[in-house]
Amino acid sequence: MFRQTRTRTLTVAATIAGLALYAALGGVFAREIVTEIAVLAILAISLDFVAGFGGMVSLCHGAVFGLGAYGFAVSTAMLGLPTPVAAIAAVSAATLFGLLVGAVTANTAGIFFIMATLAFGQMAYVLIFESATLGGDDGMSGVTRFDLSWLGLDLGDSLQFALVCLALLALAYAFLAVVLRAAFGQTLIGIHANEERMCALGLTAWRHKALAFAISSAVSGMAGALAAQHTQFVSPDLLFWTVSGEALVVVILGGIGTLAGPVVGAALLVLLKHEVGAWTDHWHMWVGLVLIATVLAGGRGVYGQAEHLLAPHSAGRTHA
Amino acid sequence: MSGGIDFWTTQVLNGLQLSMLLFLLSIGLTVIFGLLHFVNLAHGALYMLGAYVGVSAASALGSFWAALAAGPAAVTLIGIALYLALIRRMRRAGPMNQVLVTFGLIFVIVDVVRIVWGDVALGLEQPAMLSGPVEFLGVSYPAYRVFVIATGLAVMAGLSLLLNRTQIGAMIRAGVENDAMAACLGIDVERLFFIVFCVGCALAGLAGVIAAPVFSATPDMGTAILIPTLIVVVIGGLGSLNGAILGSMIVGFIQTFGAVVTPGLASVMVYLLLAAVLIARPEGLLPARG
Repeated sequence: MFRQTRTRTLTVAATIAGLALYAALGGVFAREIVTEIAVLAILAISLDFVAGFGGMVSLCHGAVFGLGAYGFAVSTAMLGLPTPVAAIAAVSAATLFGLLVGAVTANTAGIFFIMATLAFGQMAYVLIFESATLGGDDGMSGVTRFDLSWLGLDLGDSLQFALVCLALLALAYAFLAVVLRAAFGQTLIGIHANEERMCALGLTAWRHKALAFAISSAVSGMAGALAAQHTQFVSPDLLFWTVSGEALVVVILGGIGTLAGPVVGAALLVLLKHEVGAWTDHWHMWVGLVLIATVLAGGRGVYGQAEHLLAPHSAGRTHA
Repeated sequence: MSGGIDFWTTQVLNGLQLSMLLFLLSIGLTVIFGLLHFVNLAHGALYMLGAYVGVSAASALGSFWAALAAGPAAVTLIGIALYLALIRRMRRAGPMNQVLVTFGLIFVIVDVVRIVWGDVALGLEQPAMLSGPVEFLGVSYPAYRVFVIATGLAVMAGLSLLLNRTQIGAMIRAGVENDAMAACLGIDVERLFFIVFCVGCALAGLAGVIAAPVFSATPDMGTAILIPTLIVVVIGGLGSLNGAILGSMIVGFIQTFGAVVTPGLASVMVYLLLAAVLIARPEGLLPARG
């Protein structure tokens, strides 16, 4: 059961407002960080949608994200299409790939699902890596940003771009929360809880899971389109499986199955990366240690743990 | 591309060499996987540790053979520490938590290696007696690579005898088949798990030392070999010796011949094969459970 509780709304709103303030008051560097957080948060909540609520721990969301980025880059830098068309192309490419992977892997579970998504993600990575028309290993530059001058916005400005990314994060969150509260989301959570029973009730579970995977991929693809605009450059590294791993780390760090947690997790991970990265080259080690500690502490994540402690009904409940 | 018979013989030997390295890694991973139900993504990092310890041991003791003993020994000790501290308590935690904890371990081990040994690739001198080329199957082939193939075949034969002909082998097979039932029959399954885990770590360390003279020791070697190893394990079937043999042969040969015939698309073929196996035969080509 997914509930958009007041705590969740407040947490997401406060995180986004805090980041907006940081971007507005901080320098250029702060704005880059805020944009990075917003993009990673969109990717992370889309992964939480399938992993936390559908039980599908995907290791191909990096590839989906990268396909979104490439979809946008090819449309603008190579074909010279207007940015709204490019955004549609990016989201469509990601959604189609997600639908395909979701349909093919929906009947596998556990480690087999993880490996299958890894295989498809890496396949996409290798194909883009080897594609000479897409620039191969060198990637592609010259990606243009959204033209929002009709709103009086100039996205060449790093502050305005960061704020637009935050707004899109809020939009993506609202979209996924609405889907989760609707019958579609409740059914997905039902499949996660007991797939056999849902099938016995007459549901074609694999089709539902594939659709959920496609919806999640659409949001990841949008994150990818933003990432391409952020650096105005795409490279095959965006599709590599470690990107999916990093997104999964964010989800776990924040709190899997809470939707609000990954937003917090993205902020924590990027800040950790930059703060620790400022005094040591070995920040990955700290990310690893934090990840191990999070899982050993019960795997609820920072936000999930807080929510668990704050929940009124948790006092008398024995731990499972 | 020269199409002579010598060329293809050389490619077969190259494929065999890669297959043997993959086998040494995947057999440990697959038995740990099949017996302990534990997904150890850090297995590749242990392989890297083996290579680095081997490089240091060789320069300290001045002998490749000392390195060949020190690498597996050190990796086994590190594996024991990891087992006691982390892995034992993650056994029943489900695949996702295991993936996450061992993913975190990769980060930690890679950075520890970068701190201790630095970021540069470190080479390991081949032993003098294996440095030249030898005439093998009518082609001139580096003696060291023949040694790699021979080591892999020897380990394969040894493990095959151990698993199929000894009592402990029968206990391991029983544990893979049904660990609860094996425990009911009086087998100390926990001790068995521990032994298997240690052997798996030792083989990862051995593979690391053996690979170092061919590929050099680099901080990303563990992550690079991890994915092909996992593919071998899944294609072959979790917990199966024959599966690991078949899987490493398939992956090793596809990668070697793919690189010659369709450069660039070799790894796509491997991923396609993995996807096909997962969809058509999720239990693997030669599953351990009957």
